[in-house]
Amino acid sequence: MFKLNFKIALRNLLRNKTASLINISGLAIGLSACLMLLLYVAYEWNYDRGYKNEIYHLMVNFSDKNKQVENTGDQVPNVLAKTLKQEIPEIEHIARIVWPSKRLLTNGENAFKVEGRSADAEILKIFDYQFISGSPDKAFDDPNSVILTESAAKRLFGSTDVLNKVLKYENQVDVKVTGVIKDHAANTTYQFDCLVPWTLYEKLDNWVGRPNWGNYAFYTLLTLKNDVNVAQFNQKIANFIDKHEHSDVTDPTVFAYPLVNLHLYGDFEKGHSSGGKIEQVHFFVALALGILIIACINFMNLATARSQKRAKEVGIKKTIGASRKSLIWQFLLESLLLTFVSVILAVILVELALPKFNHLMDVQLELSYGNPIAWLAAIALILLTGILAGSYPAFFLSSFNPIQTMKKSVNGTKGFSLNFRQVLVVIQFSFAVVLIVGTLIVYQQLQYIKNKPLGYNVNSLLEMPHEGNLYPKYDLLKERLLASGAVTSVCQASGSISTPNSNGSGMEWPGMAEDGKRMSFNQIYTGYDFFKTNQVQLLEGRDFDPRIASDHTAVLLSETAIKTMGLKDPVGQVIKLWGGDRAIIGVFKDITWGDPAKRNLPMLIGFNPQNSDVIIMRMNTNNATAENMEVISQITKEINPQFPVDLKFVDGLIAAKFQNEKILGILSNLFGGLAIFISCLGLFGLSAFSAEQRTKEIGLRKVLGASVSGLVKLLSLNFVKMVLVALIIAMPIAYLLMEKWLSKFDYHVAIGWPVFILTAVLTLMVAFLTVSWQAYRAAKTNPVEALKYE
Amino acid sequence: MIILKNIEKYYANKGVKSYILRHVSTEIKQGEFVSIMGPSGAGKSTLLNILGMLEEPTYGEYEFMGEDVLSLNERKRIELYRNHIGFVFQAYHLIDEMTVAENIEAPLLYKKVSGAERKSRVADVLDRFNMVAKKDLFPNQLSGGQQQLVGIARALVAQPSIILADEPTGNLQSAQALQIMDLFKKLNEEEGITIIQVTHSEVNAAYGSRILHLLDGVIKEDIAVEQSV
Repeated sequence: MFKLNFKIALRNLLRNKTASLINISGLAIGLSACLMLLLYVAYEWNYDRGYKNEIYHLMVNFSDKNKQVENTGDQVPNVLAKTLKQEIPEIEHIARIVWPSKRLLTNGENAFKVEGRSADAEILKIFDYQFISGSPDKAFDDPNSVILTESAAKRLFGSTDVLNKVLKYENQVDVKVTGVIKDHAANTTYQFDCLVPWTLYEKLDNWVGRPNWGNYAFYTLLTLKNDVNVAQFNQKIANFIDKHEHSDVTDPTVFAYPLVNLHLYGDFEKGHSSGGKIEQVHFFVALALGILIIACINFMNLATARSQKRAKEVGIKKTIGASRKSLIWQFLLESLLLTFVSVILAVILVELALPKFNHLMDVQLELSYGNPIAWLAAIALILLTGILAGSYPAFFLSSFNPIQTMKKSVNGTKGFSLNFRQVLVVIQFSFAVVLIVGTLIVYQQLQYIKNKPLGYNVNSLLEMPHEGNLYPKYDLLKERLLASGAVTSVCQASGSISTPNSNGSGMEWPGMAEDGKRMSFNQIYTGYDFFKTNQVQLLEGRDFDPRIASDHTAVLLSETAIKTMGLKDPVGQVIKLWGGDRAIIGVFKDITWGDPAKRNLPMLIGFNPQNSDVIIMRMNTNNATAENMEVISQITKEINPQFPVDLKFVDGLIAAKFQNEKILGILSNLFGGLAIFISCLGLFGLSAFSAEQRTKEIGLRKVLGASVSGLVKLLSLNFVKMVLVALIIAMPIAYLLMEKWLSKFDYHVAIGWPVFILTAVLTLMVAFLTVSWQAYRAAKTNPVEALKYE
Repeated sequence: MIILKNIEKYYANKGVKSYILRHVSTEIKQGEFVSIMGPSGAGKSTLLNILGMLEEPTYGEYEFMGEDVLSLNERKRIELYRNHIGFVFQAYHLIDEMTVAENIEAPLLYKKVSGAERKSRVADVLDRFNMVAKKDLFPNQLSGGQQQLVGIARALVAQPSIILADEPTGNLQSAQALQIMDLFKKLNEEEGITIIQVTHSEVNAAYGSRILHLLDGVIKEDIAVEQSV
């Protein structure tokens, strides 16, 4: 029986090639979209989950004078780890670790810049890295040691068998390779290519070693002893910093937060987790299920659309003794077979699309064929989809009364079932409409943010790290660069102008309110020509001037800073910054430093050429860019031969800030488009069904003199009505959802009616085109054909 | 074998009952060859459907081989006609996606007959109907007469005690029709299979042993046929 049913199913597939093709491809596309989204969701979900230990991250809440938490940071002072370990016995291991930054590693002629971090030795007990060679117990015994990842080792030495080999670190000291570990999974927060001991970091940068309770600049990770309750632990450490050094400016509360939550639930509001990436994960799960449901609805629609053809078969089988159960099984088997074929196709589609998808999304997703759970999931997916998609046709078809089906008047298809299918189509299209509206608004918002003035001119602006010989020979570099004609202006800065990297508080000014010192502000320190190079607009005053000696203690403030501080006639006034007097020599138009959709913080640009991390250059636009870069590289290499030249376009750095929005944009475009496509396939099937069902009516109307265009209108109208209903249902939902999404941004577009009109026109047009083709075909058939069988 | 008592069938439409069958009472014995005749709309097909348990009467009693059909549940009823009734239709109603052999085999599958037995029975029937060469063809590759032969073969393979045929020759040319009727007569006489057919044709009816004349849902005549053919 099974074999025969299987054979019949196959023959049915082959016989109705178009229908099968539509059916299978619709399902395969839906499944592959669903699969891809779920892979991405799994990737995000498994962030930082690969470790054996339950790891906590120290976080700190800063409160205002009313004990209201103002913001939450993930970096803490450098002395905290050691002091906590001494005083709190519940801690098993605790270690500091710093930001990743590009570090120069040299092996003879081989010099590479790799992502490097420094950390306390205990980090090796917190993270259970897989050592290919070396051991976690001894790796950091000597300050001059380094742990490499597998791929970093291969890059530097061409092999992983490199234990005890010596490298030059930052062109300053020799370090010995004491361990090679397996590469990190891509979904790891604390990534690095090389890791050096904290002791080395302190040796190279003296200030790091000085105990400081006021500089919140270091990540700290810890594990707790087995029976420790985290809530109690957090209570115990809450006032730890204040206990050791009371500050009027900040009111910090320390707490341990699970590392696994940091990525997904990394946003804090008023000191409590308020979500984060998890919202995106939820959105993608919903999208994946939505697309799967659309594809299944499609399948149901197309299968039932062919019901009239299958009805006869059902009738006959019933008269020769088939029970309803056996028929249900037959149809379920068919749908499982189709699903199976679709899943195979979907896997092929995913394999084809993944490289591109990974590239777009900047992730590393792959299908793991060796994973038994993946296989189980695939089987579950086939069963779920097959049964979901096949159940309705199975129960619907098997319910046919044999006599009526053989008389060719399937009354069961009127009334309930068509209405049910109409409901399905409305659901499909509602989903599609929400996606279209969403896509359009996401696009608008993205464009809006992208086009928002940055406050400086990003075109032909380059930056490179200020490092090595470039420190002592900065003036020479500047002179030679300007003389070469490749650049028109050069300046140095404490951090990149593209992304926020430093802020502080504790500024005092005349007429300040009581808690003014708590005002948090962004800061960049620089030498000369910062405003000229970046083309930041000065509203009042002037840039730092080498001819005026007093400018060494001068500052410029942003428009927002002046407004927040309430200063009148700011230029010439003197503010206090951490004890020192600073004269305001100018006011500049706001620079968008952080999230462009968020309100700008007050900003201070101060004079301090010693605090310099980047060199910013404005290229001469009279020359070709490649030529300019060539010249700059050459000069830099001559002055600083040990370091590879690392030139970056500032506009590229800014684009990187939009990664998350870009992903959202791509996904909603891609999957919105797919949802509409699959929905149209479904509509196509249903209109074919309707045309078939009304063959006789169409024939009669034609005999009575109806025109083709009249018939097309008649047949299409019903479907257009359904799409209209979907529009009416979906638009308010879309509006509310997008309103919620937009409210996350301080600066956002308003949702206007053109979006909805565009969506409506687009959807109706696509739907009408889909349906009318079927209607046209039906209307063109010879009425004799239609009436013959009655 | 079959006893009908006061069978009524009507559709109520806005309070007005439109009768299809009225007070139909009759008895059909094992081995009879009965033709149901009458003009269009007389209720012939409905009566046959009720006999075949494909439709239920509104009212009345129906006893099949000693069992009260109307009190049986669906499963039992399917069991009953699976084992005892074979259907033959005017439009043949073969399953297009199955080959000749598979069409014939299908009822045995639903009866859960073992594989070996199925094979031998299908082979046997194919042989008897001279269709061995055509066993792998699909219905649309056969002529109407051949299709109806397959239809009858399918009805016979389950070894029913009764065959219900709804205008079995209605779609056939006269030569093919005669062939089918000869086959029915042979089955009736040699194997003792009870046959009930609905027909418009006097010629076909003459093959049988008894004619029920239906008019407006009422049995007008019940006559035995003089064997003249």
